[in-house]
Formats: sequence, C-alpha cells, structure tokens
Amino acid sequence: MSKSEFIFNKVNKILEWFLIIIFALLVLDVLFQVFSRYLLGRSFTWTEEFARFSLIWMTIIGAAYLNAKKEHLSMDFLYEKMSISNKRKTSIFIEVCIFLFALIVMVIGGANLVYTTLHLEQLSGTLRIPLGYVYAVLPFSGFLIICFSIYHISGVCSNKSNSQL
Amino acid sequence: EKIEGPEVLYLGHTLPQTHPVHKGMLEFQKALEKKSSGSLKVKIFPDGQLGSERELLELLQIGSVAATKVSAATLSNFVPEYNVMGIPYLFRNKEHQFSVLEGSIGKSILEKGSKFWLRGLCYYDAGSRSFYTSKKAIRTPQDLKGLKIRVQNNQMAINMVNTMGGDATPLAYGELYTAIQQGVVDGAENNPPSFVSSNHYEISKYYTLDEHSSVPDVLLIGTKYWDKLSVEQRVWVQEAADESAQAQKKFWRESVEESMKVAKDWGVEIIIPEKSLFAEKSKSVVEKFVEKYPEMANIVNDIKNN
Amino acid sequence: MSLEIISIIVLFVSFFTLLLLKVPVAYSIGISTTISLLLNIDKMPGLTTIAQRMTTGIDSFALLAIPFFVLAGEIMKQGGIANRLINFAKSLVASLPGGLAYVNVLASMLFGAISGSAVAAASAIGSIMTDRMEEEGYPRALSASVNITSSTTGLLIPPSNILIVYALASGGTASVAALFIAGYLPGILLGLAIMGYVAFIAINKGYARGQRATLFEIWTYFRKAFFSLSLLIIVVGGIVAGIFTATEASVIAVLYAAILSLIYGDMKIKDMPKILLTSAKTTAVVMFLICTSMAMSWLFSFEGIPEMISSFLLDSLSNKFAIFLAINIILLIVGTFMDMTPAVLIFTPIFLPVVTTLGMDPVHFGIVIVLNLCIGICTPPVGTLLFVGSGVANVSVTKVIRSLLPFLAIMVAVLMLISFIPEISMFLPRLFGL
Ligand code: NA
Ligand code: NA
Repeated sequence: MSKSEFIFNKVNKILEWFLIIIFALLVLDVLFQVFSRYLLGRSFTWTEEFARFSLIWMTIIGAAYLNAKKEHLSMDFLYEKMSISNKRKTSIFIEVCIFLFALIVMVIGGANLVYTTLHLEQLSGTLRIPLGYVYAVLPFSGFLIICFSIYHISGVCSNKSNSQL
Repeated sequence: EKIEGPEVLYLGHTLPQTHPVHKGMLEFQKALEKKSSGSLKVKIFPDGQLGSERELLELLQIGSVAATKVSAATLSNFVPEYNVMGIPYLFRNKEHQFSVLEGSIGKSILEKGSKFWLRGLCYYDAGSRSFYTSKKAIRTPQDLKGLKIRVQNNQMAINMVNTMGGDATPLAYGELYTAIQQGVVDGAENNPPSFVSSNHYEISKYYTLDEHSSVPDVLLIGTKYWDKLSVEQRVWVQEAADESAQAQKKFWRESVEESMKVAKDWGVEIIIPEKSLFAEKSKSVVEKFVEKYPEMANIVNDIKNN
Repeated sequence: MSLEIISIIVLFVSFFTLLLLKVPVAYSIGISTTISLLLNIDKMPGLTTIAQRMTTGIDSFALLAIPFFVLAGEIMKQGGIANRLINFAKSLVASLPGGLAYVNVLASMLFGAISGSAVAAASAIGSIMTDRMEEEGYPRALSASVNITSSTTGLLIPPSNILIVYALASGGTASVAALFIAGYLPGILLGLAIMGYVAFIAINKGYARGQRATLFEIWTYFRKAFFSLSLLIIVVGGIVAGIFTATEASVIAVLYAAILSLIYGDMKIKDMPKILLTSAKTTAVVMFLICTSMAMSWLFSFEGIPEMISSFLLDSLSNKFAIFLAINIILLIVGTFMDMTPAVLIFTPIFLPVVTTLGMDPVHFGIVIVLNLCIGICTPPVGTLLFVGSGVANVSVTKVIRSLLPFLAIMVAVLMLISFIPEISMFLPRLFGL
C-alpha cells in the first residue's frame, strides 16, 4: 500500500465514524425533542437548532465522503459508450471540474462567508454560537474534496490498467 | 465592463405582496425613482424569493443584495442593540413608540448597524403582538398556565412567555398552521395582519389583545452598497425611506382594521384583557435582560423616560 | 441580446454539457450556477452568495425527515419486513388469475408505502418475487416491469421523501402533512391501474392462480405483518392526530422500526453503525443535490426566470388545459434524462407560480409533478428504478423496456386523470381540513 493510499483510507475511516456519530446524535436529539414535550411537559429551545446545524454538517461532510467513494449521482449513458482512452480523459475532466468547484466556491467563497460572519459577530438564535462555526464546514469539506480529487487524478494518470475508470 | 442604464437597487424581503409593510416599500421605490429622476431604480423581491430574514441580512453583508426589510427581532442576532425592542411593554403606546424610534434614540440605534455593515434607514410599524389560542381563552396571565404557545426562536420571546406562565414552544413558522390545528401547540402570538394573512384565524377561537410586545420592522441598506453611492444619492435614499415610513403607518392602520374585521366575521372571539396584569407578570424579563446586557440599561431607561 | 438571456443560455448549455460528461449532477448544477451568476455580479459577493445558499438551503427542520425516513427504510430492509409483507399480500390476492403478479404489485405498494423509497421497494420485493414468478411461467422481464412500476406508488403513498423535497421547493405553500394525505388516493389509483393491466395479461396468457387462502390464513399472515403495517398508522395517524409534526413522525418511525427489528431478531445492535453509515451516504446524495439546487433556484429568482417562463407560457398558450398539458409534456421529457430530486427542485419554482395563477392548488401540483417524474425514473436514458429493477431481476434493460411500454402508457393515463381531476388528490386533504 502506498503512503497516499494509506492516508486516504485513514481519512475515510475517520469520516465514516464522524457520519455515524453525528447521525446517531441527530436521532437522539429529535427523539428527545418529542419526548421532552410529552414526558417532561416542556420544550427545550436548543434541540431544533442543534438538529439543523448537525444536518448541515452531516450533509456537507457526507458530500466529501461521497467524493472519496465516487458515489455521487451522475449520468453515465454517454460515458458508457466511450472508448477507454476517452473514458480516461473524461474521468480527469470530471475530477478537474469537482476540484475547481470545491476550490472556488466551497473553499474561497466559503472562507469569505466564514470570515464575514465571524468578523461581524453574528450569533445563532438560541444556542448563541457564532454562525461562522456552522459555515466552516464548507471550506473544510471543500479542502477534503480537493485532496480526494488530486488523489483520484493521480490514480487515473499512474494506473495504466482501467480499474480506476 | 459597466452596463449602461439606471443603477438598480435590489431589495429582498419575506412578506407577501398584500402586506402593509410591502406597500411601504413600494412607496420607497416610487419616492426614490422620482427623486433621482429615474437614475436609481428599486427592484423588489417579495415572498422570501431571495431568502429568509437572517439570510437576507447576510446577503447584505456579503454584498450581493443591496437592501432588505426585516423584523428588529431577527436583526438583534446581528446588532445587539435591537434586542431592546423585544422587551415586553417597553413602549406605553404607539405615540410613545414612534416618538422614541423617530427621535434621537431610534436614529442612534439605526446608526449602530453600520459597524456590522447593515445601515438602518427607517422603522416601519409592525404593530403589537398578542396571543391567539385554539381551545382555551386567555383572559388573565393565569390562563396561560400549561398552554403550549409557539414563539419565535429567540431568547427574549421564550423568556417572556415562560415568565408569564405559559410553555414557550419554538417551532418553525411553516409548521405552525398544522401544529395549531392538530393540537401540537395550543396557540401562538402575532400582530393582527399576520394573524389573518397566515390563515391562523381560521383555526383559532380566541384572540387576546394583550399587546405584549411592539417590535418594529426595519428597512436596511448594506454598507457595501451605501458606500458606493454619491452623497446626493444617499440623501435621496434616506429621504425616500423617511417618506415611505410615514405612508406605511397609514397602510398598517388600515390593515389592522381590515384584519380585525376578517377575524371577527369568521367568529374569532376578541378578548380585551387588563394589560397591566400581563405587564406586571413580565417585569422580571426586563430585569434579567438588563442584568445580561448592562451596557443597554441606559437605552432602556432613556426609552422609558422619553 | 440582454444579459439575462445570455446568462440563461450559459446556465443551461453548461449544465447539460457537464451532465452528459458524467460530472456528478450536484456539481453540474453548482458549476453552471457559478458561471452564470458571475456574469451578473462581482466575483467575491457572487462566490460567497453561492456558498451561503448551499448551506442555508438545507438549514430547515422539515428536511430532517429525509435522513430519518431513509434510516427507517434501511432498518426495515435489514429487519425481515419484506417477507412478512409478501406473505400477507399473497394471502389476500394470490387466488386471482395471475395471482403472483398481484402479490408483486401489492407487496411493492406496501413496502414502498412504509419505506418511502421506490428503489428500496423494487430491490427488496423484486429480488424475492422474480424467481417465484418465473417458476409459474412469468417471463422475468414482465415480473421486472410489474415490480418497477408498482414500486413508484410508494412515492405517492406516505411517507414519501420526494414529497418532503417538493414541500421545500414550493417555498412552504404546500405543507408536508397535506401532501402526505393527498398522496393516498393517487397512489392507490396507480396501483389499481397496474393491477388492471396485469389482469388483462394474465387472462390472455392464462397465468395460474394460486390457492385461495382461508380466512384463518389471512389472519395469521396479517398478524405476522401487523407490526410492520402499523408503522403507516403510527406515522400518518400521529401527524393527523396532532401528536407530532411530520418531521418528528420520521424519527418515531426510526425508533419503531429499530425496536421492531430488534424484537424480530433480524437486526442486532452491533449492525447499527453500518446501517447508519449506509443511510448517511444515501442522505448525503440527496441532500447535497438539494444544496446546489438551492443555489441554482436562488439564481433563478435573482434573474427573474420563473416570471419570464410563466409569462411566456401564459401569453403563448390560450387556455388552462393547454398549459397544464404543456407543463406535463415538458416534465415527461425532463424526467427521461434527469433524476427525480433535482427535477423537483429545479422545476417546482419555475412551474408552480404558473399553475397557481391558473387556480391549481400547490398540493395538487405536488402530486402531479411527483407522479409525472415517477414515469421518468422508469425510462432510459436515466432511470434509477429501471436499472435497479432490471438488476435485481437479473434481466437486461433492453428486454425490460419492451414489456415496460404498456405499463408506462397506463402510468401516463393515470397522470392525465390526476392532472385534470383535482378531486382525486384534494378530496382527503380537504376532508381533514389540511
Ligand atoms: Na411511501
Ligand atoms: Na428516465
């Protein structure tokens, strides 16, 4: 196993556990919201906001994980008809597109969003946490996606067999 | 390169086009185009087309939308001074409220926003919020006991209802109609035009006019956009906003009358309670607030002594 | 040419090019939106706005129902619920001519209804039913066609994730609770129409009927399936009775399915991490699509595209009937090459203002757009359900398509009925005052 492959697998393992834990917390949080209203007869104000923010984190981290696994929804009816060499070129094109979007929108746009909301001290309605922390998932996940794209591109370029396509 | 033609000011908000505050913004649009002889145009995006109130404020800071109208309650998460407006029974009556808002206190709060890239232009009347319930009538604060009342997801609103004896339940506005109807909550609180335009009057038996809070709406312009305007253009924008604020108060009055008539005709029982009982019960909210934000004690005092 | 027109052309050309080149749908949407928006506003505000729309687009408590229903469905798939439903369906309808085909339809309807996912229904039921049907002489392609089309009913019969997505795309003008109730009759009608066509083939070809089950047998299988079926009553009943909101109902479904599967013994606590991860992945596919679609739909509003298209439709077509028909045809074409979730997210904000101007209820339109796109997921070139259904039946897609055509015709006929007779969708919501 090469070093980059080793790191790639480690990062994926961490992402997997992150997704599992945050999903479990999400279930417990909303169950608590329902049961506290009926069994304790009172509502807590933070459950809804916690759930919404967790969903954002789970989705956008999950998107990076899908990039690692190449499991995003895509339409391959034209791709399937291509020759091997065109498939190789197309695969690189796809990863470059993903790379650029992650860099320009998620990292640069996202970082500016985080900067603006932190600099201007916007707080969330009930948890009173800076909104910038919620948005930070975007540049963070964008950075992971960039790394995965480079990893996939180098895989296509170095691997002369077609298992990567 | 720059596109020829008039400068366009994008104004996004979340209200429907029938709402009296939207009509106020139409006045702003008319006045500004007239003052600038058509060189400054306003394009209004109603119905939350460009996002929720919180998101619109961010878009002003980001600089892709020029102006917005939000409730001072939402604004308080960006500019802390607006928290003051949420204090229950802060204003003695409407005259007191607008003499404060249009006087030096109100103007200085509008100014405070510039530090957060959100310059306030003027206040719009958003009336007073009161309780409505589907099963049990609220006549005194004691009646609130055990009732699940939906509130905005905002600490002051939650504290207020809990201190008065109710059970504050923050819930998304979009889920509220069915939540009242199905009994997930026992009631909610809002001003008459929203009570009617949300159709909540159809599923509420009682409307208790306790008028616990009078949080105004605020018209804002992003400093990113404002800074690009010439001195002359800034004067036009400010004057147009001030004119629209005066016109809007009339639209609001008419809308309250119409809404109350709709609710009454539907068969909603309108209850006029002894407001001082509710005010008395909610006093500790102010104390807690001043404890938490000592720097705002002065503003609260200035308003009360105005 | 005006800047608006140029940016719309840029948007659509870049979007379809990227889509064809197998760039993931979510990224195709995001990239074309970015290019188009940067034609209109400055770079930094533009990029930051897209970043903001991607995050705030999913900042909604109502959307939580999606991961929860996905998780509940995943738990059910592990938990041996499919077999119980098939046995119960068999005791009810196997004695009719072409009995096993009905069992397939009914079981797919029940499983789809409970899990809220057509793909889950088609894979769970199809993998069990195709072999059984082949033993009684049904061609595998026919079994696959029955399975694929009847699984779409689960998207109309609540709970249904796609209806939640629609509620979001409608900007809150249609409530999840109303949509859920509205889906029942159209979903059942679609199931019955498929059964009607199955009866026609079965009588023509003389497929065997099964043994009539005794009342006692029906009762036995019903008892075994009872707790699985109860989920429907708990979820929808709980919403209608006001015990919880639609979002909260979804988490109750998770709890219920987990307890049931643990009692059945088909699932162990230690299986949970794997189930959570699989569900998190499925969730991320749908939700990340929503992220970039929300950015695109913001761009639409910013450029006034919905008004442009609606005034075009309203001006060029003279009557209501022609406009509804035109919208249905556009959606049918869109559905052939686009998956359901992005199609709902992109086209709802465009068409909803048109149809509401013409007096159509947003809830009714939700049922129409979902049923319309149900046809799309059964057709090539992009047909998730077609591929899954053919895959589990182990038969080539080309073969399935041939036997699928009459079923698609039936679905189009039902679509027309539901489009032009609002009462089918609106009767129940009105009855419950939703
Ligand atoms: Na369903
Ligand atoms: Na298709």
